[in-house]
Amino acid sequence: MSNGIEIHIDTEACMGSGNCVYWAPGSFDLADEGHAVPLDPSATEEGRLWVAVEGCPVGAISLWRDGRPLVKEG
Amino acid sequence: MGPTKTDTAMAPFDPNELKDTVAGNVRDPYPVMAELRRQSPVHVGPVDLGTGPEEHYGDVPPVTVFGFDECVQVLRDNETFSSTIYESVVGGVMGRTILQMDEPEHRVQRALVAPAFRSKILERWEDDLVRAVVDELIDRFAAQGHADLVRELTFNFPVQVIARILGLPRTDYPRFQRWAIAITSVAANWDRGVAASEALRDYFAEVLADRRRHPDDDLISELAAVEVDGQHLTDEEIFSFLRLLLPAGVETTYRASGNLLFGLLTNPDQLGAVEEDRSLLSQAFEESVRWEPPVTVILRRTTRDTTLADVPIPAGADVALLLGAANRDERKYEKPDEFDMFRAVRQHVGFGFGVHVCLGMHLARMETRVALNTIFDRLADLRLDPAPGQDVHVHGLAFRSPISLPVAFSAR
Ligand code: HEM
Ligand code: SF4
Repeated sequence: MSNGIEIHIDTEACMGSGNCVYWAPGSFDLADEGHAVPLDPSATEEGRLWVAVEGCPVGAISLWRDGRPLVKEG
Repeated sequence: MGPTKTDTAMAPFDPNELKDTVAGNVRDPYPVMAELRRQSPVHVGPVDLGTGPEEHYGDVPPVTVFGFDECVQVLRDNETFSSTIYESVVGGVMGRTILQMDEPEHRVQRALVAPAFRSKILERWEDDLVRAVVDELIDRFAAQGHADLVRELTFNFPVQVIARILGLPRTDYPRFQRWAIAITSVAANWDRGVAASEALRDYFAEVLADRRRHPDDDLISELAAVEVDGQHLTDEEIFSFLRLLLPAGVETTYRASGNLLFGLLTNPDQLGAVEEDRSLLSQAFEESVRWEPPVTVILRRTTRDTTLADVPIPAGADVALLLGAANRDERKYEKPDEFDMFRAVRQHVGFGFGVHVCLGMHLARMETRVALNTIFDRLADLRLDPAPGQDVHVHGLAFRSPISLPVAFSAR
């Protein structure tokens, strides 16, 4: 089931920490080149996706819906 | 395998040796830090964290950061806040490492060592290596029904894990552990630390030469073989990096696993919950690194005039980031002083943040998870069991962890 969320990763900024993969393994993977790539956004419940966004040490992840960046609620 | 003669040669070191000299004799620095943070998240000039006013030399006043958002801001702006400050602090013992490099050099060097620390690569060490180390240590005391988990387990397992990951021969563990302790406690005994660093360099030179001839499935062989965009690591870079792994990877993990056990043992409801559902271990560990980060302070130096939380800071200032204070910022966390693995906000700066974020965090997470799983599998009804008058607590200022964890249990 799609949750309508798109994951954007700024691969220039990404330094390959692997934190997003740790928090949301179904939704992120590390490419051999050392940066993260998005997998299935709906594999992780939304709250956990935000843990991955906030836990990114260089702020390289944003979540989008309907062509607009999402802002975390609360 | 049971304990051997050479293994017992590892025992003489007493974790108490690291207590007052390196760690700072402080039981709970957090109320003072919270008070200073309420005054301002950023202080310019010497601060008194309860151990007397900071010593300070030079013209530029030191800066201390107590706030969460402010720490994140500093760690993400590595052009203004440089890591070269570590050249004088640790460079003398470790040699030149990624810890003290700025961009773009840091990014290139880190990319060379990073593949060996990805969680997928580490998986192969979980059962045969980490679990085996912990099982062996537990074998020695399981029948007794009680133990000091710091002395008998958490203090010993990370150094043995690193020794095995490096592929060192078993007979070398005792001297490797002695060097590790000497390097880690260099602040307490500079000459001993420097001597150990030189001895380790010579020792690694032999091992590396051997692995270049006969590559094996270990970290030293991996580092010898790395190539990213035509770049390799030189021998000297490998020696420095390997030496950095001792303070960065051994002491931290020993302290972090002690802090997690302390958090759980003093909150039996949460201990019960993780024992029941082991998938909660990762969030329990993360919460313990927030609540009691083993490394409570990291350093940067400003390369230009700047402001932080509206506070002006001059170029050339030494900036201390109090990760422990940031992790308990009440503007970020509810009831920050409580260990609560069910809290909603998980982000913390216990592993640092920004481009220098801990390289070994996946190893630390895996090691601690495997250690706790093994403890729960083998020791039932685990509980704190202090001697009369014994005060079990987390101790230290720059580095924090319990000095002892007396427990009782029944072996399964
Ligand atoms: C719970 C255990 C650990 C904690 C709390 C911890 C904490 C930290 C922190 C706070 C930093 C940032 C330093 C700075 O920015 O100034 C760091 C960096 C680092 N850590 Fe860890 N660490 C842990 C385990 C490990 C392990 C197991 C290893 C490797 C075996 C390791 C290797 C490193 C390295 C190489 C760096 C330097 C990274 C860079 O400068 O790019 N750490 N660690
Ligand atoms: S957490 Fe951020 S820096 Fe780390 S791999 Fe994911 S996107 Fe990259």
